[in-house]
Amino acid sequence: MRDKTFRPDRVKDYFLAEWKVLLFVTASGLIYNIGLLAGPWFEGKMTGELVDILTGSGTMKRMAVLALCYVVTVLIVQGSRYFKRFYVRRFANNVSRRMKQILYAKLVTRSRESLTAEGAGSVMTKAISDVDDCVEGMRKFTTELFDTGVALLAYGCMLLCYDWRLALICMVFPPISYAAAEKLKRVVQKTGERGKEQAAALNAATLDRARNALTYRVFGREEDRRLAYEQNLDSYESAAIRANVWNTAMTPIYRSIALLGVPFLVWFGQKNVTGTGWSSWDIAAFTTFLACFTKLAKKASSAAKLFNAVHKAQVSWRRVKPILAGQEEELPESVTPEAPATLNVENLCFAYPGAEELLHDVSFSAKPGQIIGVTGPVACGKSTLGKAFLCELPYSGSITFAGQEDRELTKEQRSAVFGYLGHDPELLSASVKENICMGDTKDPMPYLRAVRLDREVAEMELGLDTLVGPEGHRLSGGQAQRLALARTLYHKRPVLILDDPFSALDRPTEKQIFASLREIAGDSIVLLISHRLYLFPEFDQVLWMEAGRVTAGTHEELLQKLPEYAALMAEQEGGKVHA
Amino acid sequence: MRNVKNIRTVLLETVKHQTCLSLAILVTVVGAVVSALLPPLLLAKIVDDLTSGVAASLGNVVLYFGLLALTGLLESARESLLTVFGQKITHGLRSRMMEKLTRLTSGALAVRDPGELAARFVGDVDTVENLFSAGIISMFADLCKIVSILAVLSRKNPGLCLVLLCLLPVLFAFTRYVQKNMLKAQLENRRAVGRASAFVPQTLHNIRTIHALGKERYMCARYDCFIGQSYGAMEKTNFYDAIYSPIILILNALMVGIVMLLSATGDASVLRVFGMSAGTAVAVIGYISQIFTPVESLGMEIQAIQSAMAGVRRIDEILAEPERSMPPETTEPVSGAAAAELRNVTFGYDEKDVLQNVSLRVEAGEQVTLAGRTGAGKSTVLKLLLGLYPPKAGQALLFGIPAEKIPEGDKRYLIGYVEQSFHMVPGTVREQITLYDDRITEAQVRKAAELVGLLKTIEALDKGFDTPCAPELFSQGQWQLLSIARAAVTDPKLLLLDEITANLDAETEHMVLEALNRVSENRTVISISHRASARTGRIVTVTPQA
Repeated sequence: MRDKTFRPDRVKDYFLAEWKVLLFVTASGLIYNIGLLAGPWFEGKMTGELVDILTGSGTMKRMAVLALCYVVTVLIVQGSRYFKRFYVRRFANNVSRRMKQILYAKLVTRSRESLTAEGAGSVMTKAISDVDDCVEGMRKFTTELFDTGVALLAYGCMLLCYDWRLALICMVFPPISYAAAEKLKRVVQKTGERGKEQAAALNAATLDRARNALTYRVFGREEDRRLAYEQNLDSYESAAIRANVWNTAMTPIYRSIALLGVPFLVWFGQKNVTGTGWSSWDIAAFTTFLACFTKLAKKASSAAKLFNAVHKAQVSWRRVKPILAGQEEELPESVTPEAPATLNVENLCFAYPGAEELLHDVSFSAKPGQIIGVTGPVACGKSTLGKAFLCELPYSGSITFAGQEDRELTKEQRSAVFGYLGHDPELLSASVKENICMGDTKDPMPYLRAVRLDREVAEMELGLDTLVGPEGHRLSGGQAQRLALARTLYHKRPVLILDDPFSALDRPTEKQIFASLREIAGDSIVLLISHRLYLFPEFDQVLWMEAGRVTAGTHEELLQKLPEYAALMAEQEGGKVHA
Repeated sequence: MRNVKNIRTVLLETVKHQTCLSLAILVTVVGAVVSALLPPLLLAKIVDDLTSGVAASLGNVVLYFGLLALTGLLESARESLLTVFGQKITHGLRSRMMEKLTRLTSGALAVRDPGELAARFVGDVDTVENLFSAGIISMFADLCKIVSILAVLSRKNPGLCLVLLCLLPVLFAFTRYVQKNMLKAQLENRRAVGRASAFVPQTLHNIRTIHALGKERYMCARYDCFIGQSYGAMEKTNFYDAIYSPIILILNALMVGIVMLLSATGDASVLRVFGMSAGTAVAVIGYISQIFTPVESLGMEIQAIQSAMAGVRRIDEILAEPERSMPPETTEPVSGAAAAELRNVTFGYDEKDVLQNVSLRVEAGEQVTLAGRTGAGKSTVLKLLLGLYPPKAGQALLFGIPAEKIPEGDKRYLIGYVEQSFHMVPGTVREQITLYDDRITEAQVRKAAELVGLLKTIEALDKGFDTPCAPELFSQGQWQLLSIARAAVTDPKLLLLDEITANLDAETEHMVLEALNRVSENRTVISISHRASARTGRIVTVTPQA
């Protein structure tokens, strides 16, 4: 489906990609705009026929044929108009959808580091909203190309056919009207900007008064601030009036200027009818010419819209273009987890750029099926150790899984090995089910049962389809944590890194969940980072971290070897644990 | 002027105050309607003259254009006047609302979200303006247009007028049907757009999980699904939007065709109601196309009015809120009274009392620290002394005057208040200290800054005291010092110090406490503090009510 020649940073390519829809638009647009001439022509003919009937030379049958043709023509013309309008909008929607898809794919495949650095994330967010302005401009351009461009051309030609001299005289005025509008555009823009400035000042003053109302009251400044606000209102009022008057009041005036050709038209036109002018006209020609010119003048006064829309779109496009540049992102195929294997960590060192080293020479190894506890005092680097496996930032030393170095894996390969659950449950604003399956089809129920969330979910209004709200706000902290754990287990990987997954749970629940964790994890290696130790006696291995250094061993070994570990254990067993 | 209870009174007031403007609007509205009627009539005469072989006079030709131009001018004037009028209304409304804000009870202010409150001042007031200019007045204009066109047609072609009278209600019903469906689809679209745009920050937030699970493809599909939903809704809008005016114009053509045909019948009884000359036919074609536009606008105006009503209700809600009793302009000083005194005060923010029958007397020159558990009512005591709330029973007196009756102008000279956290006001560093008070001299400002130890820091800034403030200009501790300067600048007799909540490092905290000690010297001070190094003076324990 993706063709190689399509360049997302070229506007032309979007038009080309939508050629089928645009073909429809072109055909219906031409029929509509050229067909528009038929209206005034038939109206003129009918009026002429009426004159003939009144003078006795016309017949009712001829009138009936004319009227019928008129209605049918209008039906066809307006039908095409419907198609044109509908398909222009469909074109815009398709383009906007495509641009957004491309932008979003770029965003979702960018590394976390590059997104958080330099506000790149918000730049992308802004770009996505810029797309709307761009596409709106493209839509208006396409619409006006026909409605203004083709229509003006058609009307102009028709006028020239009837009487080219008179047509030329009349058509002097619409450009003058347009030029006047252009000339005054600067004033309109300037007053508009001033209006916006004053509006912003008023908003700021309003917010200040609302936010600091009590401060002003305590210091006895309320009346004074009210008077100052009155001044804000005064200057806003005059600025807003100026901006709006320039903006709205001028349109009827421009239209009047464009219509200045009318007296010439009537004067010379009637000479044509009475046979003393440049061409020989009947009444029908006279009224048709007048109707056509009126429509032309009206269209011409809206020509400025075309340029404004294009200009606005250009501004947005300039912001979006650099982000769209480059090939479209290839999205990774869905992940097939690697087979269980041994994990080896040797002399692992890690530091954030420009900061002190957080992990020094960490070494340990784990066999399939092992559960490894990681603990230590606050800020000992245990969470950093967990994140090191994700390779968001480079590490030194070595992390190998099945003999393969972590940093040399592709992103897809890495996500087939390491499963990670951090402090933040990172839930989607979607249903419970969506949050666990994330598009996969396996049954989520066993995993909900494993994290002891099945009963609570069943009691929710919509069960599995209950929405959890933005960032899972509709769930309690413990529920969100368990849901995230269910998601991680559902997407089982040979190495599961769980950073404090039980922190918001009570002790009995934690024990129950741990039992099912062991069962579900099976052959996977589980790295369980926690500050609560009562599960640690059951672990296959324990890593004690202090100031970035690791001491590895079994629970019993560490109890003997490390007094800090023993002390922490004793303290928690004494029941002084904060839940 | 006082006690404005709802928007209607404000509107009527504006109309009354702007009599000329209101009349001018009426004239231009009616004028534009009438002048739009005339050109087709004149054209009819010209065409009829032409058919009988008489050329139109130059005067008529010029008049024809003159009328077209006049219509344009009147429309332009109407739009301008409406803008002015709308602004007068919003100005008046905002003034009344601000007046109301100063009269709201402190309790009502404390619970209101400032952003939401500001939105009522800004957005909701704008919708009221919209209600007026895009709603009621345009509706009046459009109705006038319809009625006047029908009136002219009833003379020129009574048959057509009758047909239109039957057709217009149907047309209007159709218009409303289309508009309602469009609105529904638009709302649906807006919701879908909201979901799609909320999805982007959500993705940024969850990016680690997405990468770790390899869910990029899934997320793209999900995003596309939201966009798809939005486009589904938009296609519906597009359908109605695209179908409406073709139908109207086809109807228009049908009417013209029928009228032409009927006027061409030789039948005398038909011609009595449908007969017309060629000139009239031209005019009638013009009128028919003119009558459809106001029908469409009428629907939009109804919609504008409906959506503005919610804004009107929200504003009325504020204007109807209970008011506090305002302090008088001046009060008589009471001799021999204590600096601050609570006399058998009972108070609670709601039914539950926080303080019950509390008495406390602080003599001039005394330094008192209020102690007690969180929620015991220490801050409440300060709020009562600041006059923010009247006690339910008993009296809170400052220098013998009930605290809430202290005139606004005297307040800063009697009491200085150091708030829990600094509230920055928009403006310069000087204005942070003066709160825009012109009575405060430059020397006083400098003295206050020096007293809290900020003078050098401020003078080192680019523009010194004239530097515009932004949150990053000072550290948290420095802002707190500025807050002390704000309280001390007027050299008040009594200082009320609330507990400072900002997280300060040890050194900054020391600076703040030093500054507090300096300003407390030779002054009556009531403070709430847990901090060890503050001078405590007499300690009064506030006990919580069960």
